[in-house]
Amino acid sequence: MQTVVSTTTQPTGPNLAALPTYSEDIWHHMSDALHQSIYRVLTLLIAVLPGILAFFVALVIFAVAGAAISWILRRCLTWVKFDLRIARKGGTDWAPTTSPTELLARVSFWTCVLLGLIIGVSAFDTSYSTGTALPISLLPYLTHAVGAALLLVAGILIARFLARSVLISAVNAQLQYARFLSLGVKWLVLVLTAAMVLDHLEVGGNIVELAFGILFGGIVLTLSLAVGLGSRDLVSRSLESRVEHNNERAHIPEEPAGAGSSIRHF
Amino acid sequence: MATANPIPDETSVADQAAADLVVFVTAMPAEQFKGLLINLEAAFPAGSTLVASQNPLPADVATHLRIIQTPQANPLWMFKPGDFIEAAQCGSDYGTKAILMLGPGADSLGTPALRDLADTVLSVSIDLAVPYYALAPHAGLINSAILYPLTRAVFASRVRFPLPIDLGLSPRMAQRLAGVAQRIAASGQDDSLVWPVNEAVAAGFIVDQVDAGSRTMPQPSDQDVNSILALVTGSLFADIEEKAALWQRPRRAPPIRKATTEAPDSDGTADVARMVAAFRLATDNLQEIWSLVLPPNSLLMLKRCSVLDATEFRMPDNLWARIVYDFLIAYRLRTMNRGHLLGALIPLYLAWVAGHINTIASGTPAERHIEAVAAAFEADKPYLVARWRWPDRFNS
Repeated sequence: MQTVVSTTTQPTGPNLAALPTYSEDIWHHMSDALHQSIYRVLTLLIAVLPGILAFFVALVIFAVAGAAISWILRRCLTWVKFDLRIARKGGTDWAPTTSPTELLARVSFWTCVLLGLIIGVSAFDTSYSTGTALPISLLPYLTHAVGAALLLVAGILIARFLARSVLISAVNAQLQYARFLSLGVKWLVLVLTAAMVLDHLEVGGNIVELAFGILFGGIVLTLSLAVGLGSRDLVSRSLESRVEHNNERAHIPEEPAGAGSSIRHF
Repeated sequence: MATANPIPDETSVADQAAADLVVFVTAMPAEQFKGLLINLEAAFPAGSTLVASQNPLPADVATHLRIIQTPQANPLWMFKPGDFIEAAQCGSDYGTKAILMLGPGADSLGTPALRDLADTVLSVSIDLAVPYYALAPHAGLINSAILYPLTRAVFASRVRFPLPIDLGLSPRMAQRLAGVAQRIAASGQDDSLVWPVNEAVAAGFIVDQVDAGSRTMPQPSDQDVNSILALVTGSLFADIEEKAALWQRPRRAPPIRKATTEAPDSDGTADVARMVAAFRLATDNLQEIWSLVLPPNSLLMLKRCSVLDATEFRMPDNLWARIVYDFLIAYRLRTMNRGHLLGALIPLYLAWVAGHINTIASGTPAERHIEAVAAAFEADKPYLVARWRWPDRFNS
């Protein structure tokens, strides 16, 4: 009997000895790419870092200078009795926090801070544009961002002012939904402000404009319908009484307009 | 003084003769002016009195009074700054010893009242004679709630109507008021009010009160309490702020003639429930705004008042005094927009009115309650002075 000895022979497919070489190449390329990108970013940071440092140094120096100038100005004006001289001329008694001396001191401080900010931003931009080959300059976007921030602040202040005006007027008109009306006005203004800020930052493009237009127009249309349909009698009576009031303007009334009430506030 | 001479150049020599008394009559409807001329003719002898009028002389009126025309104006419910300038100019041009300023509705003033106003200045050498009107209990409420108590406490003046519609002035008082009016006109605030009593106290002039009986009070064309309160109270607050250096000194109120005329009875009902409801609505919605102005204990007392029934509603006198003082401080400090501030005061004022009407209905005479309120203002004046000087501290 013959013993069949099976022997294992090497397969005839690809050469596995080459696989480690391919994986080493891939890893090598990957690490090269990573190293290069890290290098680029670090280079950019190194180029920008002095500018950032210059920005903060300028801001701090001018803020300190502003504080010093403000203190000196306050002392000098107090010594020459500036508030008293102004009060004598204008006949007004000033509150301590809003006296002319205090106002001038604050204006001088914030002027120095603003100057420091401008110089710092300018130094940052110079450093950035000379230290890198990237064509993008950060300064225009920074100014847009500052403008957007100012828009936001102004919008919030206007929203709060209008909300308070509407609240007080509605309460004095004895409208039960005074708070709701005030909140509605506040949010309308805030939504408008947000849309303006996003537009200023060139974020979202047409989508933001379209969304805002639909939202705002819808709210205004809803309010118009609600007021117009719900209070058309009141509006027409109010218009009629206004026309009568204008015709009788030369006549000084001696009795109050409200029938049945004997209260005269004056 | 005024840069333009309001007296037309074509007046005759007789008209330019001196007069002891000039009666300056502001614009009013023709019927009122006719009635006033009749009363003036009965009150003052011919020859010594000159009437300077912003109204055209009615064709069907024959009078022995000397009448001169001043520039015509639209009738208003209160003296304008220009009226004081014209009155002082007339007094100066004719070398008068007294000037009587009469506002719309002055035809309802009796002859004795007109004579007393003039004689007080002519004979007794008073600089400012202010009438005491006998009004119904539900009339002149802003004056009762705010103007009189605040003027009495701050300026130590017991004049019951510190913003009158008729005045008796000495020449120097007229010049003083004209100077103030010129300053107001120069700043472009033609709607501002001039406060004669405050000016007299500031100048150290002598003020007296004259019983004028009942009078028809002209009302503003816009009778909404929102606009009246904001205008009158805001003007008084501004005047107090301007004279801060004067009223912070301790001073005693000089004696003043007490009125003898009885006030007429209440002339109808008032909707107290509506005013209390307005106050409750404000308590629910304006807490955040009131908390910027009022201290916590005042807010707590207001909350307690808001749960009272409308028929039993009262606002304590010392609470009302503190509220007015706190709003005055907030006006000075510009804690918030001044229009908002005065708008937030309106529901509190209506609450006081509701309490006042309930007090009258319970049998207390109106004048007694008003005097009690004024006394509360006087008692709390140290609080006002302390907060004026140290605004950041809420004194309990």
